[in-house]
Amino acid sequence: MNITTRERREMPVQSEDDVILVRRAVKALAEQTGFDTFASAALTTAASELTRNIWVHAKGGVAIIEAVENGERMGVRVTFRDEGPGIADVQRVLAGGYSTARSMGLGLSGSKRLVDDFALQSTVGTGTTVEIVKWKSY
Amino acid sequence: MDHRRYMSLLKLDEAELRARMSACELGPEDLERLQRLRPFAEKHTAEVVNAFYELLLSHPQMRKFFPDEATVRRVKRTQSDYFLGLFEGRVDLAYVEDRLRVGAMHERIGLAPKWYLAAYRKYLDLLHTLLYAEYPPAEARAFFGSIKKIVFFDMAIAIDTYIAANLETIQRHQVALRELSTPVIRVHDRVLLLPLVGAIDSVRAHQIMDTVLVRVVEEKAKCIILDIAGVAVVDTKVADNLVKTTASVRLLGAQTILTGISAQVARTIVQLGVDISIMHTRSRLQEGIELALEMVGKTIAPKNGASEGARP
Amino acid sequence: MTGVIPILRMGDVLLTTVHVELRDAIAEAFQTDVLSAIEKSRATGLIIDISGLDMVDSYVARILAETGRMARLMGTEAVLCGMRPEVSATLVRMGFPMGTVQTALDLDEGLALLRSKNGLTRIE
Repeated sequence: MNITTRERREMPVQSEDDVILVRRAVKALAEQTGFDTFASAALTTAASELTRNIWVHAKGGVAIIEAVENGERMGVRVTFRDEGPGIADVQRVLAGGYSTARSMGLGLSGSKRLVDDFALQSTVGTGTTVEIVKWKSY
Repeated sequence: MDHRRYMSLLKLDEAELRARMSACELGPEDLERLQRLRPFAEKHTAEVVNAFYELLLSHPQMRKFFPDEATVRRVKRTQSDYFLGLFEGRVDLAYVEDRLRVGAMHERIGLAPKWYLAAYRKYLDLLHTLLYAEYPPAEARAFFGSIKKIVFFDMAIAIDTYIAANLETIQRHQVALRELSTPVIRVHDRVLLLPLVGAIDSVRAHQIMDTVLVRVVEEKAKCIILDIAGVAVVDTKVADNLVKTTASVRLLGAQTILTGISAQVARTIVQLGVDISIMHTRSRLQEGIELALEMVGKTIAPKNGASEGARP
Repeated sequence: MTGVIPILRMGDVLLTTVHVELRDAIAEAFQTDVLSAIEKSRATGLIIDISGLDMVDSYVARILAETGRMARLMGTEAVLCGMRPEVSATLVRMGFPMGTVQTALDLDEGLALLRSKNGLTRIE
């Protein structure tokens, strides 16, 4: 089974306004997909954390919001891409290691717990990509 | 189920429609051919529909769907419309909706897919014979090719209708099951009780927490008693969920009282290393209820004589 | 951005309702406004009503928890009221430590809590 996209929307993240817009777009898609209030809140909050990370730590990037399906399951996937400084020690950040990057680490590890699939790829000096997926449960 | 609901369950939009047509290789040429065949179809409608029902009614299991002559007549009329619909030369969302309506009706009366498919086979068989009798082979083959495409297109929708209906039933059962497995009871004003019984996997644990929170707000509860005496296994995951539930109930301004804690469960919870000072626990449900009532300023007092009258 | 989130005074209690998304500038100003209101009024209680928030991420949670702690340092009991079920569930599942911030179901409960804590709190 593989994941196919039904709808796709790319949104820039260059300002605080953009963070709010991305959040609203994710919430709208979650509700459209039929997520209950809890699942919708979880996904929206995770998206908010990760979008803020782009804006605060990378000074800009993009968020791609997709309605996806995997066989009979429907879900929402959001990909966060930035060309910021990158994360040298991902494991340590996720564990809340660095104090300066604490807020980023909290956002990353917190988001991970709120979604079903979480993938992070980062290269120092190049940037970071985080992909989250939440599936609708019945 | 309403046919519109099928449309949304099957995600039948323009894109989906195009995908299905492409899968059957059903294109404008085919539609044009089918339209040209319309007079032919009209000429043979009665014949096809009658042969069709002869087949169905020859099977005793089918007879219950056609209890009397009036029903058979009505159904034959519907079937004729359906048959002619294949030759309209248009396949759009309205066409699909029409087909869904019929599929939904069949599903409702309990007509199994095997009969549906047997019927389609009969159609094709009849049409094949008639076409080759009336047209030169090359043309007959082209016509039959297009008919096959649209029939298979229709069959896919018919089958999906059955699948969608089953999915819908499963969903309804799951919702009912969820409600049954999380019976939050109002024991007293602003005091809730949730007796947990059976196995708690991570999905159920998640739902329990969500349900508890919603009910606490709905009932403006000051406390909720979670009795876990009936829970089969309390492993670290379940214990962790209980701790999370307690923490989130607290954020709503209410307290959680955990009761029915065995020695084993006590060990599991303590070994989790969480701060249990914020948790109220009692080994027996009765004690939990007494504590809960205290929290809302009530006491259970014996009905004695004047000396020990009820206290507020 | 000051004054976006109104702060009402009811006797010894300050009441503030967060009715908009807490963007950075608004959040900082909110904190400043609350603290200066406490200073001016010498309030013994502070209620922050978040029933209007359908999402609270770690940033907003931090602002709220911090404001509560700062208020307490100034001698004011702070209570967070009206948190929505899905917000609570998300914060806990995310693992965000909300600490020991006091909470109440709604405004009435918040006032009752303050009354019981302070004994002689005047609430008009």
